Amino acid sequence: MSVLVDIQHVTKQYKEAARPAVSDLSMKIEKGDVFGLLGPNGAGKTTLISMLCGLFPPGSGKIYINGHTHETHSRESKQAIGVVPQEIALYPKLTAWENLNFLGHMYGLKGNSLKESIRMHLSVLGLEANMHQKIMSYSGGMKRRVNLIAGLLHNPQLLILDEPTVGVDIQSKQAIIDHLKKMNRENGMTILYTSHHLEEAEDFCNVIAIIDHGELITQGKTKELIAQYNCSSIEEVYLKITGNKFRDK
Amino acid sequence: MKLLYSLYKEYKVLIRDRAGLAITFIMPTVLILIMTLIQDSTFKSVNESSVPLLYVDRDHDSLSQTLEKYINNSRFFVITKKQLSNEEVKKEIAQGHYFIGIIVPEHTSQKLRERSTTRIAKLLNSFSGDSTATDETAGTDTSRISLNLFFDPITKKSFKTTISNSIERIISQIEMQGMVSALNEKMSETFPDAKPAAMENTPLVSVTEEYASYNNSTIIPNAVQHNVPAWTLFAMFFICIPLGGNIIKEREDGSAFRLLTMPGSYFIVMLGKLLTYTIVSLIQFGLMLLVGLFVLPLLGLPQLNTGDSLPLLFLIALSAGLAATGFGLLVGTVASTHDQAALFGAVCIIILAAIGGVWVPTFVMPDIMKTISVVSPLNWGLESFYAVFIRNSTLKEVWPEILKLWLFFGATLGGAFLFHKYKRLK
Repeated sequence: MSVLVDIQHVTKQYKEAARPAVSDLSMKIEKGDVFGLLGPNGAGKTTLISMLCGLFPPGSGKIYINGHTHETHSRESKQAIGVVPQEIALYPKLTAWENLNFLGHMYGLKGNSLKESIRMHLSVLGLEANMHQKIMSYSGGMKRRVNLIAGLLHNPQLLILDEPTVGVDIQSKQAIIDHLKKMNRENGMTILYTSHHLEEAEDFCNVIAIIDHGELITQGKTKELIAQYNCSSIEEVYLKITGNKFRDK
Repeated sequence: MKLLYSLYKEYKVLIRDRAGLAITFIMPTVLILIMTLIQDSTFKSVNESSVPLLYVDRDHDSLSQTLEKYINNSRFFVITKKQLSNEEVKKEIAQGHYFIGIIVPEHTSQKLRERSTTRIAKLLNSFSGDSTATDETAGTDTSRISLNLFFDPITKKSFKTTISNSIERIISQIEMQGMVSALNEKMSETFPDAKPAAMENTPLVSVTEEYASYNNSTIIPNAVQHNVPAWTLFAMFFICIPLGGNIIKEREDGSAFRLLTMPGSYFIVMLGKLLTYTIVSLIQFGLMLLVGLFVLPLLGLPQLNTGDSLPLLFLIALSAGLAATGFGLLVGTVASTHDQAALFGAVCIIILAAIGGVWVPTFVMPDIMKTISVVSPLNWGLESFYAVFIRNSTLKEVWPEILKLWLFFGATLGGAFLFHKYKRLK
């Protein structure tokens, strides 16, 4: 399999911070992987994802997405990415259809292909009947599903998910995971997934990386990691590596 | 296409935000109505265009009738005629029902005629050397003929002097006519067969007064011409609150993050906001013009005179709208929370409005405040509107103010961009 994301010796130090948020971190994500990026609070996940999305450049090192960096090929790099933030990044006073139509156009989609894409995702995630209702009238689970669709519309090569199932009912959670698995299986979509739901991560991801203090601690196939650390689950591996101490800021 | 959809999205978000719409359109309409009604009498005292005058005619003869005719023709006063005692007139004036009271006492005309005849006789007799004849024709009453004028105590001294001078001038003309009539009579006695032509009484020297406008307009600023542009600009700049809030909300709910990860979209979305809110400010301007043209006259207020150049008004409104939107983008970028944006934006606009002459016009401000007022973008807009409404100015005269608004727009936009970049890299 070929590499889609190549992170090379990336360091990021915020001004006035005592230590770097990300420190000389290198990792590769192969095409078609469902890649779980795990780590405690303050481990550097958000900073790494922000750099992957092109929000700001690394202090040092390089990030290649499908062979391009944001610094030299911003448009190509960004077009390859779909982002599903942890927050419900939708306009509450617009309907689901209006939200997705707007965001689809922002990705450069238009016409029937956009409409069909919106309808297909809404239909699969059980929202077609409610698509002309304002987002503010939706339940938490429905909002999460629309939030997910917004990142999928342009069929990105890399889908970045930040806690996509937090605070949703079990049915919505199942629908989201099933849809993501289908997109990965049928479209070959690479998924970068971050979550504190380690059981869900173990079930969903075929590759797991654990970072802490801005450094990569371990990375490998999910089952191989469990075996390597002589544990029965990813949760055990995680606790073994990161310890039991609170990570309050 | 992206821009079009960005505009459409902003339009949908705005149209469904009732509180934002109320701030945007209802607030300035209400402010214009209330402030114009409140300030109308104050502006009238500055303009002195229809001064209420109480006229008590006890003479009922030529002098009082001629005086009334002159006063009427001056179009300076609104005359109310009543038969009241001196004390009652004083009371009416003191209660503020009238600015001025004039009492023409009984037999004033007759006394004037007698005095005129005496003076003419005295003059003519002095040519013949018959000084005794003067005493024969002289009236027995040697007291001065006097009219009584009463002024409202709040009347400014300069205004009082102007009015007194005007009335004295009118009386002088009447006196002159009386003298000429007496002279005619005397001459008829001396030359009974002569048929003298009627004396022309038009003034030999006339003073033409004109306001120093660029065209031939002689419009005097009134409460409507001040309040309509003033509160329109205030509302335009108040857009910074819904616009700033809109930007912060996108940042808080992750939409900004999502938009930043899309190719080129954040710039398009910001441009969409800029255009949408500029269009909103132009609609505000149009709406406020309509209020000035059609609603205020229904309340007994003067109709807004928009001057001669609608394209120039549009250009000024567009420039002010862009300046206001640029400021909104800056507030939305710099502020961290919605509350911060609302508070900072509101305080800034209120201060800039106060300095800029929105609350109290700059022409009644002390010199120090007049000097300070030039730093306010609301003042630049207001001065431009005044220039068109009152002086019928052209682009040639108002371009410096328009340029300032564009520079302010550029500076706020640049500031927002730089701060956004700084925050991302921090």
